Amino acid sequence: MTAALEVRDLRFRYADGAEALRGVSFSVAGGESVGLIGPNGAGKSTLLLHLNGILPESHDGLGAVRVEGVPLAPDNLPDVRRRVGLLFQDANDQLFCPTVFEDVAFGPRQLGLDDAEVSLRVAEALAQAGLTGLERRAPHHLSGGEKRRACLAGVLACRPSVLVLDEPTASLDPRGRRELKELLRRIPLTKLIATHDLELVVELCSRVIVLDAGRIVAEGATRELLCDEELMLRHGLERPHILRHAHPH
Amino acid sequence: MHIPDGFLDAKTAAATGALAIAGLGAALRQARLRLPARRVPLLGLSAAFVFAAQMINFPVVGGTSGHLIGGVLTAALLGPGAAVIVISAVLIVQAFLFADGGITALGGNVFNMALIGAVGGWAVYHLLSLAIKGLPGRLLAALLAGWTGTVLASIACAGELATSGTIDAASVFPTMIGVHMVIGIGEGLITALALAAIARVRPELLGLSGHEFPVAPVPSQPSAPTCPPNAFRRAVAREPVGSLVVFGLLISLGLAWFVAPFACPWPDGLEKVAETLGFGQKEAEHRAVPAPAPDYKMPGIRSEGVAASVAGTAGTILVFGLAWGLAGVLVHKSTRRRPPSDPPRENPL
Amino acid sequence: MRADFLDRHSRLDSPIHRLPAGVKLIAAVTLATAAVAIPRSQALWLAVLSAPPLIVAAVSRVPWKFLAGRMLLLEPLVIAMAALLLLQPDGGRAFLFLLARTSLCLFTMILLAGTTPFDDLLQVLRKLRVPALLVTTLALMYRYLFVLIDESQRMKRARMSRTFVNRRTRSWRVSATIIGLLFLRASERAERIYDAMCARGWR
Repeated sequence: MTAALEVRDLRFRYADGAEALRGVSFSVAGGESVGLIGPNGAGKSTLLLHLNGILPESHDGLGAVRVEGVPLAPDNLPDVRRRVGLLFQDANDQLFCPTVFEDVAFGPRQLGLDDAEVSLRVAEALAQAGLTGLERRAPHHLSGGEKRRACLAGVLACRPSVLVLDEPTASLDPRGRRELKELLRRIPLTKLIATHDLELVVELCSRVIVLDAGRIVAEGATRELLCDEELMLRHGLERPHILRHAHPH
Repeated sequence: MHIPDGFLDAKTAAATGALAIAGLGAALRQARLRLPARRVPLLGLSAAFVFAAQMINFPVVGGTSGHLIGGVLTAALLGPGAAVIVISAVLIVQAFLFADGGITALGGNVFNMALIGAVGGWAVYHLLSLAIKGLPGRLLAALLAGWTGTVLASIACAGELATSGTIDAASVFPTMIGVHMVIGIGEGLITALALAAIARVRPELLGLSGHEFPVAPVPSQPSAPTCPPNAFRRAVAREPVGSLVVFGLLISLGLAWFVAPFACPWPDGLEKVAETLGFGQKEAEHRAVPAPAPDYKMPGIRSEGVAASVAGTAGTILVFGLAWGLAGVLVHKSTRRRPPSDPPRENPL
Repeated sequence: MRADFLDRHSRLDSPIHRLPAGVKLIAAVTLATAAVAIPRSQALWLAVLSAPPLIVAAVSRVPWKFLAGRMLLLEPLVIAMAALLLLQPDGGRAFLFLLARTSLCLFTMILLAGTTPFDDLLQVLRKLRVPALLVTTLALMYRYLFVLIDESQRMKRARMSRTFVNRRTRSWRVSATIIGLLFLRASERAERIYDAMCARGWR
């Protein structure tokens, strides 16, 4: 079976010379939920931007990423972007249209769907995200949690097969976090979640990848890895509270 | 300087509207053809930026405060064509969303602030920063350009009000220009100070190489360094010659239309001296070569106002042509080429 | 503080709010144009023209306090410009007429903004075949001006919390620096927005 996401020896250097990724390799199986953790500046966001072909800007290093067996190349960029739904760190960056409806409809419209199909997909995605009734709202009239779920609806409306999430719970209040967590749990897609929210990882992900300084330093079952106190501390992380009294088995 | 509804009569509103549509149309056409897709969101964000920046108050004297207008700042950062689009967008949103500036006066406001204020100010900025190199040159240029842009826009504004017959030329010109000569100082200062702040962090946005300041390395955010040095400026600020010619002609035309007719009742300094000393007569007798359009009046045209307009138009086009030639000599050829890095795209947003 | 106070009432529900945006736009522009065309000798027509917006305002349920507040905010600018008329002989009546005419237009436009969401107006512009690039710019501007206003206020507060002397020259420098940084942030955000647009298939 082909992996949903496959990354082979991915390297990336920014224009200012900073080396962000130094040979990253991993794969995510279809239906799996994987957590991507690591300290600030480890290269998590940079890695995620590669999975959707946003980085690298010049299309020479694209061969390193395969989505459902399709290698990322200039010709099939639209195809890969349709398969991979990317949720950005800052909801304000992702909600760039004047109303929620317009924003969720953006992706489907780019796919060239007709108006009826677009409306259908928007209604479906909003229902999935629990935002039905807010179509006409302007993004600046939404709460933080609603904004995040509207972003997710915009991604779901493209019907991707892989969800790539960058800090989905950042700056949400506990209720917003709980709602988002429930929502993500109900979505039966392959997920790669980059986050500092280790409790989210424990609850949603079966496997964890630890990234530090552009390299994968550890990979394994969630509970085992997160309980490795020494490993966690060495990479700017910690053993989450809900695993304080648990023992890896 | 936002003209409200009711201050411009129908013919002036229509005339300024036509000029504004022509100018904005030229800017949009140019951007559609040459602006890389990556820069499209920057126009909207810059417009939001100008709006937000206008809400920041600067204390003046005794409780009063002023704010930035932002035309020259935008033009210095993005180039004149983009500035026309950005400032027009700001004015449109202000008119529709906040009723700031009238709907019938929208053309006038776009013409005054986006075309005359931003493009006229940019011309001053560009020529001065060619003359004086480096950051000090840029800041001095911004200071003077901010002032000039503001004053020029106020002259056009006064001309439109006078042409409309709303307010007498004798009271509107001196007051409007006088007030904006003061406001312009603030505009120039804020523009220069804001550019100085930008140059400290991203000198390449001002076309500077970055030797002026010791710069801390850019934090390795995913988005910031994706833009290689100077690409930003190369992508937005290089202005194709065609749209500059259009802007220049529209500005000349507008000034000839609204301002020139009022220039004749005020005698030149020299003429005035001659008049008071009683030389006026003599000078006319002794003039060896008759000027083609004496006193800005065309021979053979009856109405004084129309004659002054026609003469003014002819004169400004002539002066514009000369200035254009001069600029062509001043601007080094190498600064003109710019291949677009992305193909142009339609925007479905 | 959040900057959403600027268009809080445009999404209320009333017969006026439910009217198509195009109709409201055309009505408002027609009214403003008609008011502008009224000569001073026919000043009474202004009273006739001011009836429709007042009725619409009553039906629309936009709070009078909000309408009056916005009028009060904008009138000083109008008065300052119209006051030039007082400098000329017999300018008093012309001043009053101009003020009345402009106030009528101002009220109409405030009412339009208060009963019509801006994105509906954008749809109208799109139907009127306004160039896509301009509509995109307007849409992004409307979307992000609230974000940037909030951002500038946060920066200002952060600066103020570390400012201990209050001198005018200094406050100018600080505010201008905030403006400069605001532009940098806006341009970086524009980059991220472009990425987000591409991620959802923008070609």
